Amino acid sequence: MAMTLDRTRPLFIRLLLLVLIVLVPPVAWVTIDAMAEFSQGLIPEMDKKAETIGRDLEASIERAVNFGIPLDKLEGMGEFFSPVLAANPEIRYLAVTDRKGNVLFMQGIDKASIESFYTSADFGEVDHAHKSILGPFIDMAQPLVTKAGRVGQVHVGTDQDYVRERLMEIAIDLAVVTLVALLIAVEILLFVVTFNITGPMRVVGTVIDKVRRGDFGFMAGVTSDDEVGRFVHGFNGAIRYADTLFRRLEAYLDEVKSAHFDPGVVEQVRDIESRVKFLFRFARTGQPETVNEHQATDIRLPLFLFVFAEEISRSFMPLYIRDLYAPIPGLSPEMVIGLPIALFMLVIALASPSAAMLANRVGARRVFLIGLVPATIGFVMSALAMSVYDLILWRMATALGYAFITMACQGYIAQVSHQQKRAQGLGVYVGAVLTASVCGTGFGGVLAERVGYRTTFWVAAILTIVTAVLIYRLLDSAQPNAETAAPRKREFLRLLRNWRFSVLVAFAAIPSKIALTGFLFFLVPLTLSQNPNIDLGDMARIMMAYPISVVLMSPLVARFADHVGWKAGLVAVGGLIGGAALVLPFFWEPVVVIPVSIWLLGISQGLSASPQLAMIPDLCWTECRIMGQTNVLAFLRLAERVGSFAGPLLAACFIPAYGYNGAIIALGVVVAGLASVFALLSFAYHAGPHIETEWGE
Amino acid sequence: MGHSSVAGGSGAGLPPARPVRWSLARKVSLALVSILLFTQLMAAFFAYYKFESVYSSLVQSRYSFVVFTIKKRVEDNLNLGFALRQLRQVQEIIEREKSRDAQILAVEVYDFRGEVLFDTDRGAIGTKVADSLFEAIRTGSSQSLSFSVIDEDNLIVGLPLVNNLGKVEGGVVLRYPIAYVEKGLSGLMVQLSKSIAMAVAVFSVVAVLGLYILFGGVGRKLGSMEQTLTEVMSVGGQAIPEGGGDAFEERFAEFVAKTRETVDHIRDATEEVGRLDRLQ
Repeated sequence: MAMTLDRTRPLFIRLLLLVLIVLVPPVAWVTIDAMAEFSQGLIPEMDKKAETIGRDLEASIERAVNFGIPLDKLEGMGEFFSPVLAANPEIRYLAVTDRKGNVLFMQGIDKASIESFYTSADFGEVDHAHKSILGPFIDMAQPLVTKAGRVGQVHVGTDQDYVRERLMEIAIDLAVVTLVALLIAVEILLFVVTFNITGPMRVVGTVIDKVRRGDFGFMAGVTSDDEVGRFVHGFNGAIRYADTLFRRLEAYLDEVKSAHFDPGVVEQVRDIESRVKFLFRFARTGQPETVNEHQATDIRLPLFLFVFAEEISRSFMPLYIRDLYAPIPGLSPEMVIGLPIALFMLVIALASPSAAMLANRVGARRVFLIGLVPATIGFVMSALAMSVYDLILWRMATALGYAFITMACQGYIAQVSHQQKRAQGLGVYVGAVLTASVCGTGFGGVLAERVGYRTTFWVAAILTIVTAVLIYRLLDSAQPNAETAAPRKREFLRLLRNWRFSVLVAFAAIPSKIALTGFLFFLVPLTLSQNPNIDLGDMARIMMAYPISVVLMSPLVARFADHVGWKAGLVAVGGLIGGAALVLPFFWEPVVVIPVSIWLLGISQGLSASPQLAMIPDLCWTECRIMGQTNVLAFLRLAERVGSFAGPLLAACFIPAYGYNGAIIALGVVVAGLASVFALLSFAYHAGPHIETEWGE
Repeated sequence: MGHSSVAGGSGAGLPPARPVRWSLARKVSLALVSILLFTQLMAAFFAYYKFESVYSSLVQSRYSFVVFTIKKRVEDNLNLGFALRQLRQVQEIIEREKSRDAQILAVEVYDFRGEVLFDTDRGAIGTKVADSLFEAIRTGSSQSLSFSVIDEDNLIVGLPLVNNLGKVEGGVVLRYPIAYVEKGLSGLMVQLSKSIAMAVAVFSVVAVLGLYILFGGVGRKLGSMEQTLTEVMSVGGQAIPEGGGDAFEERFAEFVAKTRETVDHIRDATEEVGRLDRLQ
């Protein structure tokens, strides 16, 4: 692919290859080194533990044999071994053999699997512990020595997989770190390339096109001190030179016109002036105007960082709330745990319209910066929260910030993207949010596991401050003007009179959000935390499946929907898959099936999200013409937040009656039921634009 | 971008070239090397803490087992109806366990009031245990859960002593040095530091080289375009993209031609006005 200076893709692909070469092998290097050191350090400690256990068993057995009980006649060895095995999961078996290696007692595994080894092995007269590798086990044999001499051995078998599993955990943690680092690198480098090269060169391109038409009234507004800045300096210099010559000529023309005594000369001079002004255009203000082109990508990195900060607490938020639990009269404990999540969503829903209007009025940059204030306070105070009461307040503050920031971003993108490039601009928004969601969820869980919930909120606050600095430094204070005025609330309510739109909202958009917040954000952490074998890192990795599957599915589905035009069908299928995903724990163990449910939920959202948006121009043809398509889409996004609010509360209502597992299934039944209604009604949608005049009625 | 000279022209009148203070390669290198360093540090952080958590819990579980065996023996005697204070053999049991492992600093048995009844450091018998240990047997008693406490440079694991009526009679704790765990971890820390330093050094060089190659091309292209512009504006001629060039270079060549044409035209017009002005 040829590298073109004003196009991001070719340069970015080369850069991406370099990033892969620079980031992946060193992490692999560190991982391999760490794992080698890990097993080197861990195995001796496991041996010591096996020896300690063996020595204790040996002492007890020797005492009994010294009392005169023959070794093979000892009673209750099973009961003797069981608590030791139960308390030490890495110990797979305990055994007692006689001098010849015949197994007299064994607990943990079937004796047939290793007896042949014991009988053939020579334990000799060694008076200390003897270590051997027996297939998947490390066997630590200790001699049993009584007054009568050596009578046999006590064997403690540890699981070789124990070390291997711990090594795998490290490898998975580091894989998450690498993935997150790669995604962050992509975001940063995408920003670096667009901000430093392709963005300025696009501005240069715009000015070039004007000059090619003879218009010298504009210069590129690039002032960087790199190669691009130097080039633009020379480029602008050429324009300024032409402008300066023209100004001199213009002054000279004015002088001749006003001072020359010969009208013939004046007439000829006027002709020259007309000819020059006909052929070329120069700025009327006295010097060329500066062109600063705003792009949707300007806001991508700050948006990514902010959403990353918010998503960092995604995997453990219900667990943190549970730790801070304090009773609220009239509410069940589950409802109290669900309340901060539901109120977070409610505040976003309520604040978004005002935030959007404010962004139109005072500019996206200012609203973004305003939003960062409550968001940062929210993160800091969430880290310091004393109980669920104040946590609710701080989460609401964060939600207020979130609403302001996301609306500012959407407003900015809508303002800088031309109509035909609006989908591309929204792609920038969705891309940043989904990438941040993958990174934040995965990184947050692993981080919280190591440093605790509260420190993780501090990290979120620091990221928010970095976002503020970026916005302040990088986003031009002169903002592009809003394209259209925000519609009034009454117009939004009239939109609901379009039955197709209302059905889409009530039976497709809202249920999908119920599933997302009720199941993924609320029930998944609580359900998985019931299992002691699943730690926070595991939980986060399981939850990461959702944004990953959406990222993978959305582009494919968008192309498929455009190709087959079966948008309502895809929305219906997506909704039904989402409902079915949540019903799966009815058939299988939740721990096994929840990851599958999350993948399916991601696929369901991936299937239905793009077609939902794509349907709007057809379903709301009249409304889109009157209100603007962007506003109709914004209202759809706003209305679906009813589901985001209801999801955790609905799930919390189900828990006391059905337990965590039952609550997932019940939520699935609700979602599947609503999706079925949409599937039935979607047959009445028909294809093509609906131009009935619901609006005017 | 090349340039073919066709006619001589007047002085350029263009501003002097601006020096490059921060090249593109340097800017992106800084970003990429920072990301590399951040990634390596995070990888090391997670690897170290995972190891620390597994290793220290393994050490703790080993000593918990020792405490568990002591607890079992003491409780067997308690269940025979003896009072904890009367169990003289406990001193022997704890001293034997201590003698088996050089890392064990002390083993203590104390009653439900927190008074030390038996201790491998016999001088401590009769003293009171720290509040944290006293609290630990009260809060963890019902489930007979083990507890762990950090006390200055020592790690403490313990279990409550419960009689057959479920009453907490006291507790048994074992102290071992934090330095023992730290020593086990230090190997990994050193190895990780070495690996990170080497990986960052090697791959920073790779990153910088790669970026200089990549952005060197961009810089050269821009430099060549700038030079062509300067030459065409000063001596005239045409800007011709090398090897046909891409769409951007073609547009730039048109820009150069148009600018030169404009400058020439204005200059001609100025001369013409001057000639007319001089007509008397």
